[in-house]
Amino acid sequence: MSQKRIAKELAELVESPPEGIKVELADESDLYQWNVYMEGPEGSPFQNGKFLVKLKLPTEYPFKPPAVSFGTKIYHPNVTNDDKGSMCLGMLRPDEWKPSSKIAAVLQFARQLLVEPMPDDAVEGRIAEQYKNDRARYDELAKEWTRKYATA
Amino acid sequence: MDPPNDNEVVDLRSLDYVSRYDDHLMCAICHCPFIRPIRLQCDHVFCQKCLNTAITSFAGFRDDFTCPSCRTPTKGVYLNVPRLLINMCDDIRVKCPFAVEGCEEVMPRGHVQSHVDKYCNYRLVDCPNDQCGNKTRKMDLHPEKCMHALHTCQHCGDDIMEKDYEEHVQESCPSLETTCPDCQTTVLQQEFEEHVKACPEMNHPCAASKFGCPVKVTRSELAAHEQGCPLVMMGPYLDAQNSRLGSLESTVRHLQQRNEIYEDGLSNIRSTLFESSRGIPERDPNLPQESLNEGRLSGAPEQPENDQWIDLPNVYSTNANTYLLSLHESLREEVGQLSRAITDLDARASMAIMNECLRIKEDMAHTNAAVSSIRMQVQWLMNPRLHQAQRMAGARNSNNGNGNTHDGDDTATAGPSNAAGPSPGLLRPRRLSDGGREGTKL
Repeated sequence: MSQKRIAKELAELVESPPEGIKVELADESDLYQWNVYMEGPEGSPFQNGKFLVKLKLPTEYPFKPPAVSFGTKIYHPNVTNDDKGSMCLGMLRPDEWKPSSKIAAVLQFARQLLVEPMPDDAVEGRIAEQYKNDRARYDELAKEWTRKYATA
Repeated sequence: MDPPNDNEVVDLRSLDYVSRYDDHLMCAICHCPFIRPIRLQCDHVFCQKCLNTAITSFAGFRDDFTCPSCRTPTKGVYLNVPRLLINMCDDIRVKCPFAVEGCEEVMPRGHVQSHVDKYCNYRLVDCPNDQCGNKTRKMDLHPEKCMHALHTCQHCGDDIMEKDYEEHVQESCPSLETTCPDCQTTVLQQEFEEHVKACPEMNHPCAASKFGCPVKVTRSELAAHEQGCPLVMMGPYLDAQNSRLGSLESTVRHLQQRNEIYEDGLSNIRSTLFESSRGIPERDPNLPQESLNEGRLSGAPEQPENDQWIDLPNVYSTNANTYLLSLHESLREEVGQLSRAITDLDARASMAIMNECLRIKEDMAHTNAAVSSIRMQVQWLMNPRLHQAQRMAGARNSNNGNGNTHDGDDTATAGPSNAAGPSPGLLRPRRLSDGGREGTKL
């Protein structure tokens, strides 16, 4: 059942992708690993950047949530600043996840998080602190990282 | 295809849905149109199977399972779904699950099971040979023979299954050969298409064949021919001419259409004018031309139609005149109507103003009356006080007259107060009289 639904969602996302989001399979033979290319939303310090987001779907999908991680380094309070780049999304927590949530919604939510970080839900406390107290410096650093890592 | 019995259950989820269906008919879990749907207390609907899987993958107890959409506790209550919803889902058109085998049937989803069970000739059924685990299309099924027995092809030496053998020998065996019609060499059937492209002996038509060059020679001679062929030289020019002709033709077609429209319009106008010109001679005999026309008509009663056609220009002009005159008349009438309406409105407005004035006057008379009655009351209320003051003043004066030496100071002090006492009393009536005067003025 999971395969059918994943294939359907993938077809939908490829046919009519949401704004600034491009989806493809990381490996043509594996339906459970997706590569998502996300453009930095306009008006955010990540503008003009192109971020690789890795989406890993469990075989129990849609009963278990997918895992979202950033393949591109990003200066953001909700993304871990290591080589994993795991992202903290409320709706992806096992107890918060609903089988009726769609991947499109997850991706749009992730992109929205780039516009509005959630410092109270942060995984990088230092960046969250800076985001709250010194927005100008945060914007500057985020822009610099975007230029350094997220522009081809 | 899991249960190997005769009536296998079709997995409706893996079907190929042909018609587009409303997203609301889609189970939020499997994203398929509902299959045996069930409703929860919160009115969310899911497929029975999806819900069961959700419950088993749910960590808690079955009883506090929550809705996968809104997390409302289900309390283990599962309700029926309206028949309508089930019908709508079963009406969605799908391809036969054996479309891969060649079945082209498209049917409502509700009929798939019976199609597969009874009618589909492409359904895979078990081979009658017990040892053979393969499946055969129903249409290929032989009562006794196993269609999967292997035969060795005499030509290529490959092992081919019984069911594919005929096709293999006739079409797809790699050792089949064919002869090129042009160069007479024998090539393998598989490579024939490639050979055609490369065959040096094959006759190719001249590049200018579309302009009428009949030459068809082999590839090597073609180049020499094309260098000298007059039609190839003319080619670009002819092409340009062709395209010009094409564009001209389209313009002409366009113009023809427009012309038709104009002609239609003209004939319409003509027929209207003709009809109205018939009626005019009787109605308007004052105009000399018309009377002339009438005279002619009466003079040649055998061909009235012809005469009128000859006189048409005159008829047209008088027609135009009368039309303008009638238009003028109707406009004048309209203006008259408008002016009448305006005077009407004027009269109505002045009447309304009059009415309003009368009412206001009445109101003012009422107010006047009220004011005068208040004046009367005030006077009446003031009177006793005035009398008292006068009396007091009278008494004081008499006391002074008695010639008390000590009282001299008192009178000096009381004098002004006395004077102050009656003065407001005196002033008030004056004010009132003023008010009364204002009332009369109004």
